[in-house]
Amino acid sequence: MKIDKRKASHLDWYLIINGLILFAIGIFNLVSATSSFYSGSYNFIMKQLISFSIGLILIFIIIQYDYRIIANHSKWFYVLAIAFILLVLIIGMMAGGAKRWINIFGISFQPSEFMKPILVLYLANMLYEKKREGKALSLRDISMPMLATLIPFILIVKQPDLGTGIIIVFTSLSILWFVGLKKSTYALLFGIGAVIPFIAWQYLMKPYQKMRVLSFINIDADPSGFGYHAKQAVIGVGSGKFFGKGYMAGTQHKLQFIPEHHTDFIFTVFGEEWGFLGSIILFLLFLSFILRCLKIAQNAHNELGSIIAFGVATIIYLQFAINVMMAIHLAPVVGIPLPFISYGGSSMLTVMISTGLVLNVSMRRYMF
Amino acid sequence: MENFVKDDTTQESRKYKWCKWLLIFTIIILIIRLWDLQIMKGSDMRKLSEQNRIRIKKVVAPRGMIYDRAGRIMADTRPSFNMYITPEDIKDFNQTVDGLAKLIDIDREDIIDKMKVASGLPPSFPVKIKSDISMDEVAKIEANRIYLPGVTIQIEPKRNYPYAKMMAHMLGYVSEVSDEELKNKSLKGYSPGDNIGRYGLERAYETYLRGKDGEKRVEVNAMGREVRTLETIEPIAGNNLYLNINLDVQLTVEKAFENKKGGCIALETKTGAVLALVSRPSFDPNKFASGITKEDWKAITTDKMHPLQNRAIQGRYPPGSTFKIVSALKVLEEGIINEKTGFSCRGGFPFGNRVFKCWKKGGHGGVSMHRGIVESCDVFFYNVGLKLGVDRIHGMSEAIGLTKITGIDLPGEKNGLVPSTAWKQKTYGQPWYEGETVSVSIGQGAVWLTPIQLAQLSAFVANEGVTFKPHIVNRIVSLEGKTIKTFEPVMNTNVKLKKDVFRIVKEGMRGVVNEPSGTAYGSRLPNISICGKTGTAQSVGEKGKNLGDHAWFIAFAPFEEPTISISVLVEYGGHGSSAAAPVAKSITETFFKERVVIKEARIHENR
Repeated sequence: MKIDKRKASHLDWYLIINGLILFAIGIFNLVSATSSFYSGSYNFIMKQLISFSIGLILIFIIIQYDYRIIANHSKWFYVLAIAFILLVLIIGMMAGGAKRWINIFGISFQPSEFMKPILVLYLANMLYEKKREGKALSLRDISMPMLATLIPFILIVKQPDLGTGIIIVFTSLSILWFVGLKKSTYALLFGIGAVIPFIAWQYLMKPYQKMRVLSFINIDADPSGFGYHAKQAVIGVGSGKFFGKGYMAGTQHKLQFIPEHHTDFIFTVFGEEWGFLGSIILFLLFLSFILRCLKIAQNAHNELGSIIAFGVATIIYLQFAINVMMAIHLAPVVGIPLPFISYGGSSMLTVMISTGLVLNVSMRRYMF
Repeated sequence: MENFVKDDTTQESRKYKWCKWLLIFTIIILIIRLWDLQIMKGSDMRKLSEQNRIRIKKVVAPRGMIYDRAGRIMADTRPSFNMYITPEDIKDFNQTVDGLAKLIDIDREDIIDKMKVASGLPPSFPVKIKSDISMDEVAKIEANRIYLPGVTIQIEPKRNYPYAKMMAHMLGYVSEVSDEELKNKSLKGYSPGDNIGRYGLERAYETYLRGKDGEKRVEVNAMGREVRTLETIEPIAGNNLYLNINLDVQLTVEKAFENKKGGCIALETKTGAVLALVSRPSFDPNKFASGITKEDWKAITTDKMHPLQNRAIQGRYPPGSTFKIVSALKVLEEGIINEKTGFSCRGGFPFGNRVFKCWKKGGHGGVSMHRGIVESCDVFFYNVGLKLGVDRIHGMSEAIGLTKITGIDLPGEKNGLVPSTAWKQKTYGQPWYEGETVSVSIGQGAVWLTPIQLAQLSAFVANEGVTFKPHIVNRIVSLEGKTIKTFEPVMNTNVKLKKDVFRIVKEGMRGVVNEPSGTAYGSRLPNISICGKTGTAQSVGEKGKNLGDHAWFIAFAPFEEPTISISVLVEYGGHGSSAAAPVAKSITETFFKERVVIKEARIHENR
């Protein structure tokens, strides 16, 4: 299928360049983050670049098809994603005490990651008509979307992958809010929202997850475990001071004081080496990226596009905010990658697929 | 198609505004937090990260060596493996402690105790858990490293005494500073695990021997593993001690005392240089350097033989007949009797309502001063004592220096006691009885002296009134061979007595060894005229049980030009003539035979 020249001319280059800068920063940062590993940076960088290349191909494919057509098929993607997540629970690989990865033909990936954009598509497809009608959603209206969210949420949390589960739930709630809710629905959701933490604490959360929350509240509660790591992460970022210690010169991560510093704690590497100044520039790049997604949502040709772009903006925002907050001890430690920056193929692909969807919405804003 | 048409309402744009504000609000929160962490607390955090990565490791300075006068090693250092735990690097305390207790010969409690002692220090400070572990233990720990994060092994110099039990009282020992000592501010510059000189020369010369520890700043990773060394400050080894001790003489005495208890000291008459100093029973100072076990410590401290007591300078004994020299000197000096004055000995001396016996049952018959000394006639000296009175005996003792410590360069020396009427009045509130003077005149009663004091008495006669402060250390030399300090002879006494007094006493002492009737005739040497005085002192046995008499022998040699003064005490050894005098004989023999070695030493000194 050949891409329509008119549509191509409407590609959002702002978003593309913004994304590329973030990706480039990510690669440079990853070189430093992984240079202390025994195998060196090479493997990590290669894998990350391969993921990025595959991501580019996926974007290219995604923007060829009208997002309405893609959304129309979203329930099949959804079913496929659920199937993979179930598969993870059955034949998944254990890593770090959790079953999150699945290995097919030697390629391992994390299906729960892909659930994020798929759910956005699925919910958008379910709700755009309601939004167009301007009708606030009733309890009945949200029952299906809620169910569609709850099923993957429960399966993902069982892996356990609380981080991805949280992103999914909050993204889905944001979309519901974006479409519009009746007052009674608000009331119900708030009611549930108030009770859920207690239920979760009492029945759902695993001891180590509770420990993380406790050590977030009191960083010295578990000085040798999570508290220790949280503290070391804060020391890493803080020690960067205004200008940072310089590229490749961060000692906190190089000497392994911070675990997972190439994935979930990647921001500590950046904060330590680039300091306050670098961090603010990074924040502004994310701010600009998310605002651009919101702008695309606002200018989308229709409600379906709006919801998709808004959903993607939400995913990027939540991941960015929670990931950074985790590193600077403003949020408990949950496994959430920093978009474009963290190492990880599935995460990279998810971010790129999401970006592809937004680009798709953007380039078709003058269509029809 | 129509379905997709977008509905732009004001409510819609309000939602976007909400989103933008939330976004900006989030960024502001993040920036405020970063400002707090990186700008406000940045310097503290930088310090913390530096502390994380940098460990300051002590590089223990080797302690100075101890040599005899000819440069022969008496105490040195050897490499040993010491095990440390860095509290900060322990991941699981119980795993580490149990793991170690399983792998090597150490109790859980011992580890915990050691860690407690260091609890006031920063957690990055490695705590020494066990010193001098075996190669086998090193291998076991290395093989299990990954299960024992925070456990490290360091090679450090350890004090070594090649002669083990020999010379222990003189050399002393080193052991780790205790918790209390560390709290004591006078011990500046010591940290847990450091060794400190405890006893003997190790303690007396601690400041010279200790050296200055170096430092190594190393970068470590989160597992406590060293990544690289950032900076090294080399340790400065302690200074070496060159002693006045003649190792040959020392070993001769050590051998002579192999199965005996007691003390012995040999001095260079003209300088006070200590040629040999022995105390038995002894202990192995090597045990202390690697951290003495509780059992060993208990065994040493509860031993009824008191192996930690340096009998040569701390053991107070009745001097017995050796003390007759004091009475002899005084009585001749005062001119109360002369060389020719005689007393009759019939084996006993009736005084008051009792009879004081002479050691020779049949009596000596008519006895003058010479024979009195040579044959050690008790009755002769009973008469002398009564003519002098206790205060004059006390006065002479004081002049010789027997009532004070000699000032030898070893800690813990005890002074002697020679009674006087004033002393008795002060101590017991009672007058002096003349009968007591009878006992004192032959070194019994309330006379208590140490072997080193009697060595001074011998030197006093040999030098005719001059004594020098006994000194073990000859000089202190730095690692580079620079002499830091030399010890010149210090005069202790310089008493002028009539010329004849010393001649008579000296001739008497020569007779003790060289005349067939002399009490130490068996210990004569063919070519060296030893002068001596035997002593057999009645002892008050422990718990009233009489274990035998203490055997004494004091000597100097040769008669013509005395160079060596000796004092030998054998606890419960019986007769001075049979138990103590032979020791002095072999000392003299070795000393003069080995003068070649001493000449070599002189060459060494002048280098």
